[in-house]
Amino acid sequence: MMKDNDDFKTRLKIAKDKFNKDFVAESNKRGSFVGSAFRLGTELVAAVAVGTIIGFILDSWFDTKPWLILIFFFLGSAAGMINIIRTAKRMQEED
Amino acid sequence: MATNPMHQFQVHRVGPEIKFGGIDLSFTNASLFMFISAVIICLFLFLGTKERKIIPNKMQLISELLYNFIAKMISDTAGVKAKPYFSFIFSLFVFVLICNMVGMLPYSFTVTSHIIVTLIMALFIFVAVTIIGFIKHGFKYLSIFVPSGVPALLLPLITVIEIISYLSRPVSLSVRLFANMMAGHTMLKVFGGFVVSLGILGGWLPLSFSVALTGLEILVAFLQAYVFAILTCIYLNDALNLHH
Repeated sequence: MMKDNDDFKTRLKIAKDKFNKDFVAESNKRGSFVGSAFRLGTELVAAVAVGTIIGFILDSWFDTKPWLILIFFFLGSAAGMINIIRTAKRMQEED
Repeated sequence: MATNPMHQFQVHRVGPEIKFGGIDLSFTNASLFMFISAVIICLFLFLGTKERKIIPNKMQLISELLYNFIAKMISDTAGVKAKPYFSFIFSLFVFVLICNMVGMLPYSFTVTSHIIVTLIMALFIFVAVTIIGFIKHGFKYLSIFVPSGVPALLLPLITVIEIISYLSRPVSLSVRLFANMMAGHTMLKVFGGFVVSLGILGGWLPLSFSVALTGLEILVAFLQAYVFAILTCIYLNDALNLHH
């Protein structure tokens, strides 16, 4: 009985290693190719949109019409760039 | 036969109209398919964990695989401190995945192709993560808006940019899932329409595209659920381990 148990454990270990090597590596590789471009795109667009919306709201609060929306558009673009750089760094770490 | 590719996204009422204090609470096809997804998940996990053998049958194997997959993802991205949130991230991933997959069936409705659904999920995550951050670190949590090593002159500018970047998280999280699902399903329907309108002579080319796109859509359905869950883990990591 003891021998059976050991045998099962080694077989399980071999199977697990094989599974981790094949399946996980394969799915990670494929995943990063298909999704990464779209992931970067939405990061940029979302930050620009949020920045512009904040500028629009602040403009209507302080009655400073086109100025804050302009400033926050560029701040939003900068935030988008930061987002993209961070996402790209994370993607490189994953690979 | 409806050939409008956007027709599939229409929400309509199923059953009687329910009004509650001026708010329309009727049961719609969106609620129906969310309910179906939830039932599928519960049934599957119930059957998968019923027997608990050492050598599992197929259903138990898939359930355990799913559990290991999420557990590994959480420990890789957010560390041991994120263990208490396992059940939330597991439910989130499985719900998005099954909603996406149910949407792949003909005549069904894709719940995640509506921005209101994904935005509510993303906002919930955003608010929850922010609250967790404040509970764990108090006002020190605000230091994620102030990166280290920035000259004092630039600090106000960088802080505003960081706040915008932080606020853009729920938007990018929800738009990504919604746009992927909606674009894919619209494309499938458009190619399906080409098959019908070109008839038996010319319809073979769009049909082959349709078949390929279906495969791609199943991959996207899985991938987007995965990305949604992993980004939740990453945000959670930021809240749990400051400056990591």
